[in-house]
Amino acid sequence: MILRLVERAAVLVISLAVASVLVFGFMAVLPGDPARVALGVNASDEAVAALRQQFGLDRPLTTQYFDWLGGLLHGDFGTSYVSKVAIGPQVADRFQVTLWLVVVGMVVALVLAAPAGTVMAARHRRLSGLALSALSQLGVAIPAFLAGILLIMVFAVKLGWLPANGWTPPASDPGMFLKQLILPALSLGLVQGAVLTRYVRSAVLDVLREDYLRTARAKGLRPFPALWRHGLRNAAVPVVTVLGLQLATLLIGAVVVERVFVIPGLGSLLLDGVSNRDLLLVQDVVMVLVVAVLVVNFLVDLLYVALDPRLRVAR
Amino acid sequence: MKSYSTRAIALLGAALLAASAAACSAGSGTTSGSSPGGDQSLTVGLVAEPASLDFTTTDGAAIPQVLLGNVYNGLVKQDETGKIVPDLAKSWTVSPDRKTYTFTLVDNAKFTNGAAFTAADAVFSINRVKTAWTTSLKSAMDVVSAAKAVSPTELQVTLSAPSNGWLFRMTTRVGAMFSQTGIDKLATDPVGTGPYKFGSWKRGDSIVLQRNDGYWGTKPFFNQVTLKYFKDPTALNNALLTGTINVIGTVQAPEALTQFTSNSKYQVIEGTTNGEVVLSFNNSRPVFKDIRVRQAIRQAIDHKALLDTCFAGRGKLIGSMVPPTDPWYEDLTGVAPYDKAKATAALKAAGAAGATLRLRLPTLPYATSCGQVVKSQLEQVGLKVTIDQLEFPAAWLTTVFKNADYDMSIIAHVEPRDLGAVFNVKYYTRYDDPTLVSLLAAADSGDEAAQVDNMKKAARRISEQAAADWLFLLPNLVVADKNLTGLPTNAITESFDLSRLARS
Amino acid sequence: MRRWNPSLVVGLAIVGLIVVVALLSFVWTPYDATLVDPAVRLASPSWAHWFGTDKFGRDVLSQLMVGSRTTLFVGLVAVGVAAVIGVPVGVFAAMSPRWVSEVVMRGNDLLLAFPALLLAIMFGAVFGASTLTAMVAIGIATVPSFARVIRSGALQVMRTEYVLAARAAGRRPFPVALRHVLPNVTSLITVQASVSFAIAVLAEAALSFLGYGTPPPTPSWGRMLQESQEFLFSAPRLAVFPGVAIAVAVLGFNLLGDGLRDRFDPKLEDRR
Repeated sequence: MILRLVERAAVLVISLAVASVLVFGFMAVLPGDPARVALGVNASDEAVAALRQQFGLDRPLTTQYFDWLGGLLHGDFGTSYVSKVAIGPQVADRFQVTLWLVVVGMVVALVLAAPAGTVMAARHRRLSGLALSALSQLGVAIPAFLAGILLIMVFAVKLGWLPANGWTPPASDPGMFLKQLILPALSLGLVQGAVLTRYVRSAVLDVLREDYLRTARAKGLRPFPALWRHGLRNAAVPVVTVLGLQLATLLIGAVVVERVFVIPGLGSLLLDGVSNRDLLLVQDVVMVLVVAVLVVNFLVDLLYVALDPRLRVAR
Repeated sequence: MKSYSTRAIALLGAALLAASAAACSAGSGTTSGSSPGGDQSLTVGLVAEPASLDFTTTDGAAIPQVLLGNVYNGLVKQDETGKIVPDLAKSWTVSPDRKTYTFTLVDNAKFTNGAAFTAADAVFSINRVKTAWTTSLKSAMDVVSAAKAVSPTELQVTLSAPSNGWLFRMTTRVGAMFSQTGIDKLATDPVGTGPYKFGSWKRGDSIVLQRNDGYWGTKPFFNQVTLKYFKDPTALNNALLTGTINVIGTVQAPEALTQFTSNSKYQVIEGTTNGEVVLSFNNSRPVFKDIRVRQAIRQAIDHKALLDTCFAGRGKLIGSMVPPTDPWYEDLTGVAPYDKAKATAALKAAGAAGATLRLRLPTLPYATSCGQVVKSQLEQVGLKVTIDQLEFPAAWLTTVFKNADYDMSIIAHVEPRDLGAVFNVKYYTRYDDPTLVSLLAAADSGDEAAQVDNMKKAARRISEQAAADWLFLLPNLVVADKNLTGLPTNAITESFDLSRLARS
Repeated sequence: MRRWNPSLVVGLAIVGLIVVVALLSFVWTPYDATLVDPAVRLASPSWAHWFGTDKFGRDVLSQLMVGSRTTLFVGLVAVGVAAVIGVPVGVFAAMSPRWVSEVVMRGNDLLLAFPALLLAIMFGAVFGASTLTAMVAIGIATVPSFARVIRSGALQVMRTEYVLAARAAGRRPFPVALRHVLPNVTSLITVQASVSFAIAVLAEAALSFLGYGTPPPTPSWGRMLQESQEFLFSAPRLAVFPGVAIAVAVLGFNLLGDGLRDRFDPKLEDRR
């Protein structure tokens, strides 16, 4: 187990290093001189050169890379060429926003998917199971932003129950925070929930076929209690993996929902950065996203081992 | 005169704020007393968030929209009719040779960092444009040969040549007055003498302005104004419908206006702006060197149908680069009337029938919409048009604006009085016309009557020469809660004036 | 073994319909899909315009028909890119020594950290937003899932007796891969392609919505949806038609994938 932990950690570190090179290299080939864009097209060449020097853009790429990486490791994300503001606090702020959205969205998804998937599996030959199955297929097919638009039309504009958009930090007004969180979290959660339902279903079906469960049922336990007592832990393993993968996609996938609901999250920061050619900002945001995904995958791996005792010995 | 041609490169990053509704800073406020609105606050929804708060080094219309007239004052400003009226300068005189301006300044103005505003600050601000500003707008100050503080309340500015343009530019951001001791953090913490002081900025979301209790003029009604930014026009509309904001400062989705006009909770204000939506030609391309081709394109476009289709019929048709609020406005829509047959024939005669033109559009909603209509209409007279989209601002600015690598483009030029700046051989239009240059020079150096007369001729000149096509003038479309007062009809300045807003 | 199952039938029907419509649009649409006609703008559905017209007076049905081409094209290229890279990588990883395989799969996992949306935005910034950049970005982002599935499939094949025999007989790895491994993972490739197709359709819609997808005037369902935003109150049908089209297409490809999986692997029948 320890060995596996060390091995996974080593893989994580190497992956992070490779990712940083990829991200930096990609940004370096972006056309358009960030200093010139920051100053406007008609800025004099001297002014551009001065800014390039001020931000160290005139140094060799390798120096710039190690400087950037070194800064990141110390939590220094650098200063934006465009807004002249430290990037670190901005990224941290936006990351929190997106994290709230994604985590609450995932909770919604899980709350929907766990029971629905289990019912679908337990009654997979009956009408109720089939109906749920069809519903989940439909859910998977609807893009999250379309779900968001529909929710706004119904609950905000027609019924007036909830605000159409906006974001309030939880600390400044918890009531408003919750109100504004409901619709975006629902649009993420409904769609992700539909995807997740299908995985829960097949995981539970797998478990139902296992010998120990057959035994339990042979002893007279009804399907749901049997599952509850013996199966859930095992069914959780594949579901947790999928959850981890989904969390990763959602971090960036949330950008569309952020746009629909005017939420200042990491995705919108990235889009703004791209259109302003705020190169360093884009580089930092992409790196943060990639790190987040890799770390989540790492944690999922660990959890995987913790949840499934069989895996502790295997491999 | 040189000022127009050098200023030529006036700024179009301004177009960032395409349909920016800017309110005009007019005389004294409608409110009285020390704090008539008490603790009331207001939230205004806008579309383009600034990238920085420092307009001395960052282009774009979004920054002066927030700061000019609200946080910063100038010596002079424009009232709603376009007249130049006092601001921090109580009055001014012009010498007979029209080269020396003497301003008498107010004596009770204070910056929000505590320092008093004096003539020395004015000299500092004017000189700083020449030395420290990096945006192209700085060329507006090139004509100034000296600025001198005669006394704390008397400022003398000497020009190297008479210029009508200079005093006008002083009403724009170039004329903003900075504190000698308050410029360390222009990008994040601006210090001015205006009715509001900068409060906070939540990037990607909103900017908060607080009432400046030490303001030297009439105190504004609202204690706090939040400017909230929306990328998506529909989200902006929804925010007003659900009460998150009180004002839509600039309606970007005119089609959706019906939901407000039919609702008694809201008022809809419709006026004009300085934003000419221009179908620009790259006049350095061989095909556009032939005036017959340029005129044919103008005649091939059914402007009425175009406006109906891509801006819901809101806005005004103009035939040249002058909005109706300028003193030298004339209706020139008749210069190139819609005539498909004539356009087709002219293109054939010019040997341009079947030519392929590249229409490179910025990724702005109105440009995308109008571009598709333009393509369709031009193809009906025998041209081939390929559309490609360039991300705005970065990609469009580099490709079209800087490198002039395009045949045609569509963008709103929102700068006030920008005819001379836009139709210039150094600008992306690459319009080379000595006649126009001399008309503009005569307008800038002449007296008021000569200015109006020559500007009229200049406007007619570019229209007849078909230097570009003017699709329409962006409307000032503002939607607000019914009980708000002080919203101007026409938006003719760079600022969104918050000081006159009140709740009845 | 059931050759036909409901998922497969419905999925095939939907996908078939889209393909037929797309092919039909090459030879016939009710109107020119990009023809601007202000005279009939925002017309409600009628005999002349079955699905009405948009704000440019363009026929919505014609646009949907031509838009299906964009959808299929994006899906095909994206899946093609993913398969062309992902399949060889997966097979290679399966046939390589353990440590090589590990390295390849770790690299593969790393690519998972760059989802389609992120890649497409980055590509759009570098090369300009276009259908091509969107397709390639979606394709590259889909490589890891292909590689993973194909590798595990290929590993199973590698353990079969005939492959073991072939390798024991001293056959070189490449011919073995070509003769024995690839043919035995084609069913996996087909299933994965169908599922990835659905994901590509969703990604294109999201990208067009953000302005990083198909540029105008080429009709695209995602952009139609984005353009309809202004009319959610006055003409919600403009959002309904492309919205339904996207959902149905995704549904079709998902069902097709499920149906194929059941068909190829009867053990799994009624499991998914």
